[in-house]
Amino acid sequence: MTSETAKLSFWANAQRNSVERLHIRLESFVVLIVLCAAMALLSPFFLSLSNFLNILLATSTIGVLAIAATFVIGAGGLDLSLGSVMGLSGVAGAYVAVNLGAPSVLGLAACVVAGGAAGYINGQLVTRAFVPAFIVTLGMLGLARGLALVISDGRVIYGLPSMMVYVGQGRPLGVPMPVIIFLVTAIVAHCVLAYSKFGRHTLALGDSEGAARAAGIRVDWHRRVLYTLSGALAGLAGMLVMARIKSGDPTAGLNYELTAITAAIIGGTNLFGGRGSILGTMIGALIMGVLQNGLTLLAVQSYYQQMAIGAVLILAVFIDQYQVRKESRV
Amino acid sequence: MTLFSLKMNRLTLGLGIALAFSIAPMAHAEDGEYGVLMKTLANPFWGAMSKGVEDGAKEAGIKYFLQAAENDQAAEPQLNLCNTMLERKPVAMITAAINSTNLLPCLKTAQDAGIKVVDLDGNLDPAVLDKEGIKITFRIGSDNVAAGGQAAEYLASKLGKDAKGPVLVIEGLSGNVTGQKRVQGFEAKLKELAPGLEVVASLPGDWDRGKAASITNDILTRNPDLVAIFAANDGMALGAVEAAYAAGKGEQVTIIGVDGNSDAVKSIKDGRLNASVAQLPYLVGKQAVENVKKSLAGEEVPASIAVPTLVLTKDLLEAGTEPMLKYVK
Repeated sequence: MTSETAKLSFWANAQRNSVERLHIRLESFVVLIVLCAAMALLSPFFLSLSNFLNILLATSTIGVLAIAATFVIGAGGLDLSLGSVMGLSGVAGAYVAVNLGAPSVLGLAACVVAGGAAGYINGQLVTRAFVPAFIVTLGMLGLARGLALVISDGRVIYGLPSMMVYVGQGRPLGVPMPVIIFLVTAIVAHCVLAYSKFGRHTLALGDSEGAARAAGIRVDWHRRVLYTLSGALAGLAGMLVMARIKSGDPTAGLNYELTAITAAIIGGTNLFGGRGSILGTMIGALIMGVLQNGLTLLAVQSYYQQMAIGAVLILAVFIDQYQVRKESRV
Repeated sequence: MTLFSLKMNRLTLGLGIALAFSIAPMAHAEDGEYGVLMKTLANPFWGAMSKGVEDGAKEAGIKYFLQAAENDQAAEPQLNLCNTMLERKPVAMITAAINSTNLLPCLKTAQDAGIKVVDLDGNLDPAVLDKEGIKITFRIGSDNVAAGGQAAEYLASKLGKDAKGPVLVIEGLSGNVTGQKRVQGFEAKLKELAPGLEVVASLPGDWDRGKAASITNDILTRNPDLVAIFAANDGMALGAVEAAYAAGKGEQVTIIGVDGNSDAVKSIKDGRLNASVAQLPYLVGKQAVENVKKSLAGEEVPASIAVPTLVLTKDLLEAGTEPMLKYVK
C-alpha cells in the first residue's frame, strides 16, 4: 500500500517536473519509448546506431518545419505555407547556384532569404492588412508553389556544386549534416521558446492577444517576427532537402505543412495557441519518424504508414483533451 | 489527479502495446531478400510492374519487400524510404528513382555495403552515376528508341513504302530523355522505311493532351493534307485524335501513340486512335527479379536489358491471339 502511494506520487512528480522544467508532456515521451520498445521487439534491425541516425536524418526536414509550426501556432497563428515555401527556397537556392553560377554560400543563403521573404510577406499581410492568417498563408501556399514552378520552368534543377551538397550529404564524425543542423536549431529554438522573454511573449500572445496587448507586448511586431522566422526556417528545411536530393525540386515539400503541424500537435502544442514547447514537438516528430521507420523495416506498405500516423495524431489529442477535462473537473 | 495520471499512462502503454502486437504478424526479416522501391503504386503502370515483381519472385522462390512513395513527386520521402530499407540488409535493391539524383546517397551506401543496385525503368542518368562512382548491376525497361521505331514500321506498313505526305511529330516535355528517344527512334526508322513521308513539324506537347490538340489544330491548318501524327505518349495521341476528328480529318490522318494505356486501348477498339506502342510494365517487373537472381548466382547479365514493346491495333486487339496481350495493363 505504501509502495503504491510512493509510486503514484513518483508519477505525479515526474509529470509535474517534466511539464515545469522541460515544458513537455510525459505522455508523449512515454508513447515514444513504448513505440521504440515495440519496434525493437518486432524488428531485429531497429536497434542500431545507424538506424538511430537514419531516423534522425529522415526526421530532420519535418523537424525543422515543426519548430516553425510550434512558434506560429503557439502564438495563436497558423502557417499553411510551410511546405510550399520550402519548395520555393530549394528552387531559389539551386537557381542562384546553377543558373546564375553564384558561389555555393550564396546559393545556400538564397534558400533562407527566399523563405524569410515569403514569411515576411505573410506577417505584413496578417498584421497590416488584417487578412486572417489561415487565408494569407493558404494564399502563400499557392503563390510560393506557383513561383517555384515558374522559376524552374516546372522542371527539377540539376547540377548543384558539391560544396552545396555537403550540408545535405556530408557526415562529419559519421553524423549526417542535416541531423546536426536540425538538432542545433532545435536546442536554440527550445531555449528561446521556453526561457526567453521573446518565447514567453509568444505563448502569452497565443493565450490571449488582448491581455498581451494590455501587458505592453508589441503584438503586431511580434507576429511579423514570428512569420518571418517561420518562413526562414522553412527556407532552412528547403536548403536541407535541396542538398539531400542534390537538386532544386519545385514540387518538394508537398503537404509537408500538414505533417509539420501534426508533429507539433502530437508533441502537445495547443492548436489554438498559448501552449507549446520545442522539446515536445521534437518528441512528436520523432514519434512519427519512429513509426514510419519501424513500419518500413517491418515491410508494411506506405499506405498503412499514413493511416498509422493519422491514428496517432487523433490519439495524442484525445489523451491531451482527456487530461485537460479531467483537470478542469478536479 | 495522481490516480488519474497512472491510469493515463496505463492507457497509453496499453494502446502502444496493442499497436505493436497488431502489426506483429505482418512481417519479419528474411535472409537473402530483395528490396524493391517504386515511385508510387497509385498508377496502373507501377501497379502492373509490382504485380510482375510479385509473380516473378513467386516463380523464382525469392523473398522480397516492396515500398513506394506516396506519389511520384515525393523525392525526399523516397530517399528516406530507401535509407530505411537498407537497414533491413537486403542482397539487392531494385529501384525506380523519382528523379535522376534523389536516391544517389542511398545507392552509394548500398553499393558500399555490397548490395546490388538495379535501375528499374531507366530513371538514372549513366553520366551522373559515373561521376558519383556508382556502378549499377543493370538497368531494365522498355527500349524507347525501339518503341519509336515500331511506330514508324507500323506507319510504313499501313501507308506503304512509297507513301508521300507530311507527318507531324508531337514530342514530350522538352528535355525529357524518354520522349526524346521515342521521337529519335520514330524519325530515324521512318526515313529508312518510307522516305516519302516527311516530318514537317516536331513540337513539344509537354505530355499534355490539350496542348497536343492545339498543336494538331495549328498544323492541320498549315498542312491540310497531313497524313500521319506520331505522339510520344498516349495522352497526347488522344488529344491529336480529338483535334483531327473535330477538323473532319479523322479518317485521313493515321495517329499513333506510345504506352498502351487503357484509354488508348478503348480508343483503338472504337476505331479512332490507329495504334499505340504498348509498354509491358508487368514484364519489366518480372524480368527485373529474374535477372537479379541470375546475377546473384554469378551468371553474366547484360548492363542494359530492353523489355519488348507491342504495337496495339484494332485487328490485334479484336483477334486476341497475340500471347503478349495478357501483359497489356
